[in-house]
Amino acid sequence: MTMAASDNLPDPNSPAAMLEADLVKLARRGDLKAYDELVKRYQERIYAMICHMTSNHEDANDLAQESFIKAFSALKSFKGGSSFYTWLYRIAVNKTINFLKQRKNKYHISLNDIDFNAEHDPDLMALISDKTPNRDVALSELQKKLNEALLKLSEPHRMVVVMHDVQGMSHDEIAEVMGCNIGTVRSRLFYARQQLQGQLTDYLKV
Amino acid sequence: MNESGQNFDELKKLLKLKRHEVPPPGFFNHFSDEIVARIRAGEGKGGTFLERLNDQVPWLVNFIRVFEARPGVIGGFATALCMLLLFGVVLAEHSETGSSLLVPAVASNGTDPAATAVASVPASAQFASAMPSEGGIAISTNASLQPVASVFGQAGDNTTLFQPASFAPAH
Repeated sequence: MTMAASDNLPDPNSPAAMLEADLVKLARRGDLKAYDELVKRYQERIYAMICHMTSNHEDANDLAQESFIKAFSALKSFKGGSSFYTWLYRIAVNKTINFLKQRKNKYHISLNDIDFNAEHDPDLMALISDKTPNRDVALSELQKKLNEALLKLSEPHRMVVVMHDVQGMSHDEIAEVMGCNIGTVRSRLFYARQQLQGQLTDYLKV
Repeated sequence: MNESGQNFDELKKLLKLKRHEVPPPGFFNHFSDEIVARIRAGEGKGGTFLERLNDQVPWLVNFIRVFEARPGVIGGFATALCMLLLFGVVLAEHSETGSSLLVPAVASNGTDPAATAVASVPASAQFASAMPSEGGIAISTNASLQPVASVFGQAGDNTTLFQPASFAPAH
């Protein structure tokens, strides 16, 4: 039993068991195993943020890869003033906003599937069963409408909603990533919610 | 939660739907491998010119980005630059005119400027215009130029010329 437990413990020298700061140090020296571990740690959150912003899986895949590659090439300029994740997230945000500015009005929605847990989310079920005018509206339709409404927001407003209401980041974290003050974050969030609420009134009991 | 008189609870519940969006199955299995392979292939070493510039001088890139899609700002900045240039030219011309009143014109045809200036303009004529006719110090000069070595007896290739002068109070 004791042996089995110790077998499950990761090797303290393996990248998976290392602290972020140590992995960053190794990656700066060109250690790709260490960087591979950093990618694995943050790939889902970075991809999710970009996917929520673009509403397109292929674009999100490309942008997420480019963000990680760009971060690796710029590791030497990483001063450590913030965490590696915040720095990486900022790179991904900038890349995404630049991409969306170029893409302007030429978007093609390719939505990801909704996981099984959504059907057991009481809040979502309540929205579908009770509060929508069309009771047989499916989750996928709701998802489509929501993404269309998000795409109508400007990039900074959409970014704030995604980071706060979808990814659960605090105002402070958002302000740090976006390089603005908390007041700006709050006002953008309020305006973006107002806009979304206006566009999704049919699906909300306001 | 009620924020500034607006209730966004329903909207927040709807936005929770985004958290349930998932990429195709197995998408992340090889995601990091692809990135490492691309890094090994040499991608990301260069980047675009603007990206490299952003790494080295981020303030400059931020400054350039201020002008993006802002014709008014670009026009204003260009006008300010032109005005500055014009001001510089006018100032330079004005200072040249002012200094030419004080210093006699100097010919520079490959000869010693000092010697040429002294030789081309009689010293008495120069100082006659500069000095008051009554009082002060009158300067008398000998118009002939002599090598410095002939007076001080210095050895070497000393070809510098000088003009002897004597000063006496004017009456």
